[in-house]
Amino acid sequence: MARRVAVVGAGMTKFVRRAQETGKELAWEASRAALDSCELTLDDVDAVCLTSAPDAFDGVHMKGEYLSDGAGAFGKPFIRTYVGGGSGVFTAIQAWYTVASGMADVVLAVAEEKMSSTQPHPQGAFLTIFDNVLERPLGPNLLWIFALEMNRYMSVYDLDKRDIAQIAVKNKRNAAGHPAALLGQSDITVEDVLGSETLAWPVQRLDVSPISDGAVAVVVASEEAARRITDRPVWIDGVGWNLDTTYWTNRDLVFPEYVANAARMAYDMAGVTEPRKQIHIAEPYDPFDYKELHHLEGLLLFEPGKAPEAARDGVLNRDGDLPSCPSGGLLGVGNPIAAAGLMKIAELYWQLRGDAGERQVPGTPERGVAQAWGDLMQVGTVVVMGRDGVSRSSGSSPPATSDTVAATSLPVVQTPPYATAGHPLSDAQFRGAVGAVDHAVDARYEWDAGVAVGRFLDGLAEGRILGRECRGCGRVLVPPRMFCERCFRATDSWVDVRHSGSVETFSICHVAWDMTPLDEPQLPAVISIDGSDGGFLHVLGEVAPDDVRVGMAVEAVWKPEVERTGSILDIAYFRPRATGD
Amino acid sequence: MLEKLERPDEVRRWKGRIPVSHRYTPGVAGDVFFTALRDRGVLLGSRCDSCDYTYVPARLFCERCFAELSADAEVGPGGRLVSFTISYTGLEGEPLEQPVAIGLVRPDGADAAIVHRIVETGDEPLEIGQRMEVVVKPDEERTGSIHDIDGFRPTG
Repeated sequence: MARRVAVVGAGMTKFVRRAQETGKELAWEASRAALDSCELTLDDVDAVCLTSAPDAFDGVHMKGEYLSDGAGAFGKPFIRTYVGGGSGVFTAIQAWYTVASGMADVVLAVAEEKMSSTQPHPQGAFLTIFDNVLERPLGPNLLWIFALEMNRYMSVYDLDKRDIAQIAVKNKRNAAGHPAALLGQSDITVEDVLGSETLAWPVQRLDVSPISDGAVAVVVASEEAARRITDRPVWIDGVGWNLDTTYWTNRDLVFPEYVANAARMAYDMAGVTEPRKQIHIAEPYDPFDYKELHHLEGLLLFEPGKAPEAARDGVLNRDGDLPSCPSGGLLGVGNPIAAAGLMKIAELYWQLRGDAGERQVPGTPERGVAQAWGDLMQVGTVVVMGRDGVSRSSGSSPPATSDTVAATSLPVVQTPPYATAGHPLSDAQFRGAVGAVDHAVDARYEWDAGVAVGRFLDGLAEGRILGRECRGCGRVLVPPRMFCERCFRATDSWVDVRHSGSVETFSICHVAWDMTPLDEPQLPAVISIDGSDGGFLHVLGEVAPDDVRVGMAVEAVWKPEVERTGSILDIAYFRPRATGD
Repeated sequence: MLEKLERPDEVRRWKGRIPVSHRYTPGVAGDVFFTALRDRGVLLGSRCDSCDYTYVPARLFCERCFAELSADAEVGPGGRLVSFTISYTGLEGEPLEQPVAIGLVRPDGADAAIVHRIVETGDEPLEIGQRMEVVVKPDEERTGSIHDIDGFRPTG
C-alpha cells in the first residue's frame, strides 16, 4: 500500500526571455527558495528528482547530470525524467512514487529550462519530433502540429477564433499580479489576440506561450515528515499518466483521450467520482490557448466541445465556479517547458494553502488538478492535490480543524514566489556577455526508413500508396508498420489503398521553422486516406488557402514517374477533387 | 518479418541534421570569473567556510550545503599537477603533428582543479604532484575567455 504523500514547500525563479543565470544557477535559486519556504536544508533531503526538456535546448548533453548540483543532488540518489512538455508534472509524480514507495521521506523535485541558448531558434531542436523519413522532407515546423489540432478542434465543434482567444486574454490577465510572470497584462483584449500576427492559421502570435528561461522546485514529503514540517501540507491524492499512439496522423485530434486516461487513473486514486463537482481549481497545460480548453475536456471537467462555453460564461475566471490557470499559466507566466509544468503543481500548492496572495482564488478551494502534456502531442500527466479537510471519497465536506495547528508557530507567510533570481539579459548584454561561447552541434544523421516505411517508399516510386492490414483489429494502417501497436502482433498483409482521401485538418502557415516569414504560405494538412484507417501529413496544392475546408475530398498529384525517388515527395501534393468520383 | 539485407548500400535512408547551435553565457558567477581573468589576469574561486571547500572557477552556490557564495577567493597562480594526459590524436582519430599535453591542476588555495593545456613542458617528463603555474596572455590580448589562459607550465 502506497504511503500518503504531500507537497510541503515550493519555489520558483522569475520566468524571463533570457536569463543571466546559467541553468544550474536557475535550478539552485528555485531549489533554495523551495527549501527556504518550509525551513529545510539540503541535509533534510533524501533524494532528488529532476526534469528538463530536450538536451538540445540548453545545448548540454546529459542535462540531468549537468543540472544536478543546482538541484541539490550532490551525493544523493538522483534521477532525471523526461516526457517532453509533460515532464514538469511528471517529475512531481516521480517524487510521489519515490516517497509513496517508502524509498525516501523527503524529496526535492526540480524542473529547469534554459531555451535562450539555442540558436537561431529552439524550434530547430523540435524538428526531429516529426518522422524523419515521412514528414521532415515536407519542411514542417512545430506550429503545424498545433495549428492542425486547433483547426480540427474548432471545425468539429464549430468554434469561433474568439472562443479560443479568450483563454489567452484570461491567462495573461491572471498573470498580471504574478511576481515571476513574463507576459502578465491586465488590459489585454480579445481584439489584441485576433489582431496579432498570423503564424500558421489559426495560430496567431498571442495564441502561443513564449520561449523562456526559468526553474521551479517543490518539496515532497511522506505523511509523517509532512506533519513535522508544516501544519498545512497539500496532499498528492492521485497521480496518472498515459500515452497515445506515436502515429499522430492516426489519432483523434479532437479529444485528448490520453489526458482522459491519465485523469481517470488520478481520479480513481483520489476517490474523485464527479470531477466537475469535486475539483475546485484547475491548472491545465496551456502552451497554446486552445490547449487549455482541449485539456479541460480531457480532464473530464467539461463535455467535449463545451469548455469554450464555460469560458464565455466566466466559469474559468479566477472568481468563477472552476478557476482555470489562476497562475496565469504558460501563456501569462511563461513557458520554460519543464519548469512551466512544475509551476502548475506549485500554484496548486499555494492556492490550496491560501498563500497565493494577489492570485488567490476566492472560496477556500479544497482540491485541485494539475496537468501537462507533451512528447509528440501524446502524453498526459495528471496530479490531483487536496488540503486537509477533504475526505478521500467525497468532494464537499467542510475542512476539519487540524489538531496539529496549535502545536507549531509558523513564520510569516510571504506571497510566493519570492525568489528574485531570473535576471533578464538584453540582446546587447547577451551578444556582449564576457566569457560567452558559441558552439554548433556538428552531428549529421542518416535515418533508415526501416522495413515497413521502406516498402511504402518503394510503393510511392511505383505510384502506389500501400497500407498494412492487421487482422487482429481489422484496421488498414497508413503509414504502414510491421506490427500493430494496439494488438501488439505482426501485421498480416500489404494492401493498396486509394490515392484519394479527405482533409482531416489543415493549416495556412506563414513562417518557416525559425520563424522567418515565407514568401508563399504553405498548406500542411493531415490527409485521411480512403480505404485505410489512417492517413499522413502532406501539403495541399491547386487550391486557394481560403477555399480549403476540413472534410474536403482530395487526391494525390504525383510527380512524373522519372522524377520519383522513393520519397514522400513523390506525391507532389494533394488537390481538391470533385466529390462523387 | 525481419529481412536480411543483401545490399546494405541500397537501404533507404534520409539524410539530415538538427539545425541548432548554441550561445552559452557564463552566468552570475562566471561573469565575475571571466571579468577578473580579463581585467586582472587572476583566477577567482568561491570559498564555502561551512564545508571548508574552495571552488574554482567561482560558483554562485555551494553544491554541498546550498549556501550562496561570493566570487572573491583569489587562487593560484601556483598549483599542483593532479593528473595529465598526452594526446597524440585529434577528434577524428587523426595523428597530431604535435602531441598536446592536457593537465588537471589544483591552484594553490583551491580544493577544486581546473583542466587546461600544459605548456612549456621542456625536456623533463611530467610528474603528478609537481609544481605548476598559470600562464596568462598579456593584458592587451585578454578578451574574457578560457583562452586568456595559455595553460599551466611546470615550475619544478
